[in-house]
Amino acid sequence: MGSFFTKNKTPKSRVTEQDKAVLQLKHQRDLLKRYQKRIELSLENDRQLAKKCLASGRKERAKLLLRKKKFQETLLINTDKQLENLEKLVTDIEYAQVEMNIVDALKHGNDALKKMHAMIDINEIEKIMDETREGVEKQQEIDSLLSDALSEQDENDVLIELDALIAEEEVEKLKLPEVPQDELSLPSADETLKESKAAIIEKPKKILIET
Amino acid sequence: MTDFQWPWEYEFPPFFTLQTHEETQKRQLNVWCSLFLKYLKHLNKFRINVNESAFPLYYNESVNRRLSSDMILKILTKLQSSGHAQQLDKKGYEWLVYWHTLDEYGNMIYEWIQETGQTNTVCTLYEISSGELTSDKEFHEIDEDVLIKVLRLLEERGKCELIELDGSYGVKFL
Repeated sequence: MGSFFTKNKTPKSRVTEQDKAVLQLKHQRDLLKRYQKRIELSLENDRQLAKKCLASGRKERAKLLLRKKKFQETLLINTDKQLENLEKLVTDIEYAQVEMNIVDALKHGNDALKKMHAMIDINEIEKIMDETREGVEKQQEIDSLLSDALSEQDENDVLIELDALIAEEEVEKLKLPEVPQDELSLPSADETLKESKAAIIEKPKKILIET
Repeated sequence: MTDFQWPWEYEFPPFFTLQTHEETQKRQLNVWCSLFLKYLKHLNKFRINVNESAFPLYYNESVNRRLSSDMILKILTKLQSSGHAQQLDKKGYEWLVYWHTLDEYGNMIYEWIQETGQTNTVCTLYEISSGELTSDKEFHEIDEDVLIKVLRLLEERGKCELIELDGSYGVKFL
């Protein structure tokens, strides 16, 4: 490819040496892929030629072409292996970069943690814990004092009210359901009689149909 | 590859003559510009020569009409103004034509890079234009010179960085 006018590079390039190594490997990979394409086309071409030679009775020529084809198939297999190696190496480099980033991040994390630890003094922590403990104990004393606030008289009142509630609840359970007061509605005798007459009248029709 | 469907104008003899009526000329040139882009895309062709006399785009044998060089230049100049073409030589014979603007190509490529999780990695130009992963994309088989122009545009936007190594190009997307 032709040369191009190179722009002034930005002050800090973000392209690393690893990037350049990966790029070189990828270029080689591209070259191999182009080479493979050429071989594949050549294989098909030779196969077609061999077919034509056989059709026109030139067996030896066809055999020669097929030998060439076989050789090129071997080349294809070799380039496949080389491609595999190249791509594995690219992957390894990229993964190594990821690992390097992880280690770097862990290092930064450690540094941050150490700085935080540096801000905290052990003696100061002990002092804080002592103060906390004293505060908790004082609160417990206050709680125990307040919990005895109810007098004996108040306790009796509470029990009396509780008994009243219990009695009230038991009374409600004993209530029986009310007996329904609605009158029963029976069909009238007249209607029943009409239905019977209708049934009798219909019988002659059936006799006629049977005849 | 299917046959190209020529528009009705292509079979209409006056279409090959620059019209004097202003509105008609404007419409005529718009149709020609659109036809140029569609036909070149159909052929996957980026470079054209004004003097390639047998080129079907310039010469319709069935109506025995051909575009004059002046008219071809007028069409290409119009394409240049819309960001779809660039003159390659002083005399104006060789032109580079792209079916999308460089800006559009840049957006497509960067979107693809993000979709495939390739930010912060390096790619070869071959990988972008001819790799298996891009075979369904508009920029597949893009001309390498056009691709370099597109990537320089992305570089100016801070989206990538071109790398020149051993006489060939690569690109790192950021």
